[in-house]
Amino acid sequence: MESVKKNKLTFGTYWERFGTLSILVLILIGFSIASPSNFLKPANIAQIGMQSTIYTVLAFGEFFAILLAGIDLSVGSVAAFCGAVCAKLLLAGCPVPLAVVIGILTGLVMGAVNGTLINLLQLHPFVVTLGTNTIFRGIALVMCNGKPVFGLPLGFKSIALYLWGFPIPFLIVLVMAAILIWFTKYTVAARNMYALGGNKQSAWYSGINTKKFTLFAHILSSTFAGMAGIIMTARVGAAEPTAGDGYETYAIAACIIGGTSFFGGKGKPFGVLLGGILIGMIFNGLSILNVSSFYQKIALGVLIIFALALEKIVSNISARTEQK
Amino acid sequence: MEYLVQMKGMTMKFAGVTALEKVDFDLRPGEVHVLLGENGAGKSTLVKILSGINHPTEGEMTIGGKPFTSLTPNMSKENGIAIIYQELSVIDELSIAENLYVGKLPTKRVLGIPQVDYTTMYAKARELMDRMGIHRKPETLVQDLSISEKQMVEIAKALAVNARILIMDEPTSSLSVEETDNLFKIIRQLKQDGIGIIYISHKLKEIKQIGDRVTVLKDGKYMGTVDVETVEVEDLVPMMVGRKVQERFLRTTPIEQNPEVVFSVKNLTRRDRKARDISFDVYRGEILGLAGLIGAGRSETMEGIFGVQPISSGEVYLHGKKLHITDPYSALKQGIAFVTENRRETGFFQNFEIWKEISVTTNLKKSTAGGFTGFTNEKEEREQAEVYSKKLRTKCSSIDQMTVNLSGGNQQKVIVSKWLAVDSDVFIFDEPTKGIDVGAKSEIYQIMRDMVDAGKGVIMVTSDMAELLGVCDRIIVFSNGQITAEFMNADATEEKVLYAAVAAY
Repeated sequence: MESVKKNKLTFGTYWERFGTLSILVLILIGFSIASPSNFLKPANIAQIGMQSTIYTVLAFGEFFAILLAGIDLSVGSVAAFCGAVCAKLLLAGCPVPLAVVIGILTGLVMGAVNGTLINLLQLHPFVVTLGTNTIFRGIALVMCNGKPVFGLPLGFKSIALYLWGFPIPFLIVLVMAAILIWFTKYTVAARNMYALGGNKQSAWYSGINTKKFTLFAHILSSTFAGMAGIIMTARVGAAEPTAGDGYETYAIAACIIGGTSFFGGKGKPFGVLLGGILIGMIFNGLSILNVSSFYQKIALGVLIIFALALEKIVSNISARTEQK
Repeated sequence: MEYLVQMKGMTMKFAGVTALEKVDFDLRPGEVHVLLGENGAGKSTLVKILSGINHPTEGEMTIGGKPFTSLTPNMSKENGIAIIYQELSVIDELSIAENLYVGKLPTKRVLGIPQVDYTTMYAKARELMDRMGIHRKPETLVQDLSISEKQMVEIAKALAVNARILIMDEPTSSLSVEETDNLFKIIRQLKQDGIGIIYISHKLKEIKQIGDRVTVLKDGKYMGTVDVETVEVEDLVPMMVGRKVQERFLRTTPIEQNPEVVFSVKNLTRRDRKARDISFDVYRGEILGLAGLIGAGRSETMEGIFGVQPISSGEVYLHGKKLHITDPYSALKQGIAFVTENRRETGFFQNFEIWKEISVTTNLKKSTAGGFTGFTNEKEEREQAEVYSKKLRTKCSSIDQMTVNLSGGNQQKVIVSKWLAVDSDVFIFDEPTKGIDVGAKSEIYQIMRDMVDAGKGVIMVTSDMAELLGVCDRIIVFSNGQITAEFMNADATEEKVLYAAVAAY
């Protein structure tokens, strides 16, 4: 056993650290070869950043739900609802910063609803968020009467503009990523969440308040969804109550492509960031190649399964070679 | 004589590390052959060769007279080998009969369509269960059985496929005294039927009770095979550990006349009434032992004290000051430590390295608001893990090893480290040496003694009589949710404790 050194780079540990990055680079190279004149243009790179923003921000929240061995299926609806709240406030003459803050706080409250229901009813997050997903969507539709909310002030829409060619939303994503990387690495709260995701019973017997942290994870999940909703609204220039429908798929996909374990307790925000970018890049690259959005969906599905299958194969091979 | 198993010069290497070196082993029909050795001595490796999980690097073996160089799990089964693991593999949701015949259910044809023949299955199961002394209906769900009954089902399952070679890994670790006796009765019966049993246990006393021969392994090396009749079990211990083990860990100096009360529990009753009106004190300088049968209310009381399970009434005092415990977090904050019985379920984290494992509690202790505030400090956490791994002599490749990959004894040391590191005032140990080898046991007793000497309160729940009498200065006996007796160590005997343990049923 002494021969296993801390920093020994087996294929397994390599994959754990750089797997997502490797896939990202491979696909980047693939698209660059397929469409050398368009794909690598600075304007298109910026476009990829813009396109991946919503997926990534949603995935940042989803990450915490999955980290606790749970799931949040309501992120798409929460995003639409928060966007609608924000838009309604703006039309009523509310100043932009206040409307944004209230929009985000709406997400926080919805997360609290999810978390409280999970704790109180002792139900699996899958069931609870499956239900609240529809409920939140319904409330958003009722509130907007099923129609998009137009005529938002320019000050608000500028959230989704470019700053010296750099998309502001993606800047927000990078700031979020930096904060989350710091948060997961250096805070006791995050460590406790990893512990809780690894073994709920041990966490409880060690003094971790499992219910409070479950609530916290869902608050984080929905708060990020709220922020995603506001960015989405700013970018479209209108709050669409049907927006973000099915986006939980992208959020979950970004997490698992980024190495977050469905069994809980494993994963890193940096991986999630790469996962989100990867999804944006695939949609962008395939659009450039004139592949229809129907085929894009098929491609994403193949990638999800491929990424996880590859990880499994690689870890099996490395386990076998280590034994010998 | 025909041997059931014969192994010669078995050698097993993993990634350059020798787990087993030229080990000889054989098993005769109708004997119990005990495999003895510390954790990591190579017992599991040897067993895994027989079960077809490990493929030996060198050596040859014959199973029932047929030569093999290595086995697969299927070949192992086909040649009559069955293993009863510590963690039982029966399926809770199925009935006893279905468990016995899972994968080979008797079938009949109705209108040409094959379906399960329940009548035949229940009849066959009934016969087997009678032989094993399982007095239940074959259609009873396994989830309604006690651990000991589940184990019987597991053994019966092996007999259902006509296993000739039965491997038992620490079969008595979760059993009470009577249940152990019952198991031994079954084992003797199996012997008469010509079945060979490979028996792994850390309990030296059991070797005399049930074993015919003993093979001792140490660090993967073969130390020898002896007939149980010809040796005293104490002589085996040095063979295992290479050093003389002190058996008793009692106080050497008498306890003072009016000792200070460190910790006391007053009239504690659990909401589910699994423990009722429990009151006791823990004095400075003593290890308090809690004896009783499984389910008598010992662990249940400890869970109540620690806030894991709700209590309906009762108070807890530390140095005369009343504590307010609402959940494990508040218990930890107020200086109580709880080393639980089930390491895998409630002890450690499958996704954590040793250093992260140990810092879970220290981070919580420093934090406020239920564990939400505060920052981790990897450097300090690593240093702390190094200190405690060294102090408790945890065998690991480094503190970056995952706790789950350590042996049972070393996992326990990591868990104890976790509570030592928060410098608690009262330590509750629930079966702390379950499934742990002799050497590590002594080390854990010594750690407890050191805690006591440092003025800590130490409570140990134990079902191991030798441990209770050899380590605990004072003994409280639980029976059916109540306290029925209290003894000073000098007055306690095995009989008295047992009598008190069954008194309230």
